[in-house]
Amino acid sequence: MEQQSPQDIEALKEKLKSMSPEELKEFQKKHCIFCQIVSKKVSAKVVYEDAKSLAILDINPANPGHILLMLREHYTVMPQVPEEDLKGLFVTAKLLSNALLRALEVKGTNILVANGPAAGQKAQHFMIHVIPRSEGDGISFVIPQQELNQKQLDALAERLRERMGTREALASQKQVYVPQKKKEEAKPAAAEPPLDDKPVAGPPERQQEEKPEEGILEDTGQKKGGGNLDDIADFLAKNG
Amino acid sequence: MADNCILCGIVDGAIPSKKVYEDDEIMAVLDLNGAAPGHTFVFPKKHHTIIEQVPNALVGKLFAMANKVSTSIFESLDIQGTNIFLANGITAGQLVPHAMLQVIPRREGDNVKLSWEPRQLTEEEMSTVELKVKEVVDSMPLPGAAQSGQKQKPKSGGEVIADEENYLVNQLKRIP
Ligand SMILES: [Zn+2]
Ligand SMILES: [Zn+2]
Repeated sequence: MEQQSPQDIEALKEKLKSMSPEELKEFQKKHCIFCQIVSKKVSAKVVYEDAKSLAILDINPANPGHILLMLREHYTVMPQVPEEDLKGLFVTAKLLSNALLRALEVKGTNILVANGPAAGQKAQHFMIHVIPRSEGDGISFVIPQQELNQKQLDALAERLRERMGTREALASQKQVYVPQKKKEEAKPAAAEPPLDDKPVAGPPERQQEEKPEEGILEDTGQKKGGGNLDDIADFLAKNG
Repeated sequence: MADNCILCGIVDGAIPSKKVYEDDEIMAVLDLNGAAPGHTFVFPKKHHTIIEQVPNALVGKLFAMANKVSTSIFESLDIQGTNIFLANGITAGQLVPHAMLQVIPRREGDNVKLSWEPRQLTEEEMSTVELKVKEVVDSMPLPGAAQSGQKQKPKSGGEVIADEENYLVNQLKRIP
């Protein structure tokens, strides 16, 4: 697609809104470079494929060996993917991560999903990044820590527990969980020094960054986890 | 092994936490000092140092749960996106010696950085990497692999913990 004017984008948004779900999916597929890679209309360096998925080397990688793992089926965002397909895909991601560790003799990997442009999603086809990592490779991921309002977190945790059906999950457990049992099973290993003596869940040694509190926890209610039509239109306009 | 592990401490209840999910195998808790409210850790209850040691079925469940957490925080908070992030090995930013996924709420202009400068490789460099990776992938027992090169199966399910991975494990044991 050529560079689009704001009017064109508006027109595109209107057009998308008038489409049936089936038409919309067809339209997206037609304009999706990764669907074209899947159908072999566009060539790529495929390192793995099976009936449901395909893994290629990113041509503009974070590091050499950066893999893009995707389903053959077109989904814009992760929440649209059927759970069984998602599970299978991440098992493959784990195995590809393992393969990178051996093949490239790197010292680590990242597995990353970006949901939405604000999270860094660039492609309109849901994918998993598997990125090989080495000492001093120039990648600096930053996940800052900040002081959070613990009362608001309690309220949030409560709301999330309700949404996630946590009580039901616990009630359906066959037995009460016995933590001691697990320790015996764990394989013996060299002593691990204590990580931190603070009774908090946050791992230590993260890049510290202070940030003032913000008002949070307003329930916006109208948002959906699925693909937003305007986002899809914007994607197409930018990346088509 | 589980001694002194902060996540095992949370599982045992020795360390207080704000749980959002728990079942037989999996726990999800809010990061008390996270990048933003809703930042969540999803991890197996059983202690595994790195993701390679987590059985495949459980890997699938963990990521499916991370997806569920991601959707739930997206619907509960005023955010614009989420990342699901796994750091495998200290070099990759793994901070605790217990495999875990992070679900990170995102907004435009926040100070989380999970992006990179794209690198330009020559065709030759790309081909070299392709060959190396494919060779190893083809020798691995991948589930549902389409390629015919499924000759040997070292272990079913591909849960291979080779010496190479011990590097990650050993390095994580030395976290101060
Ligand atoms: Zn596509
Ligand atoms: Zn542990």
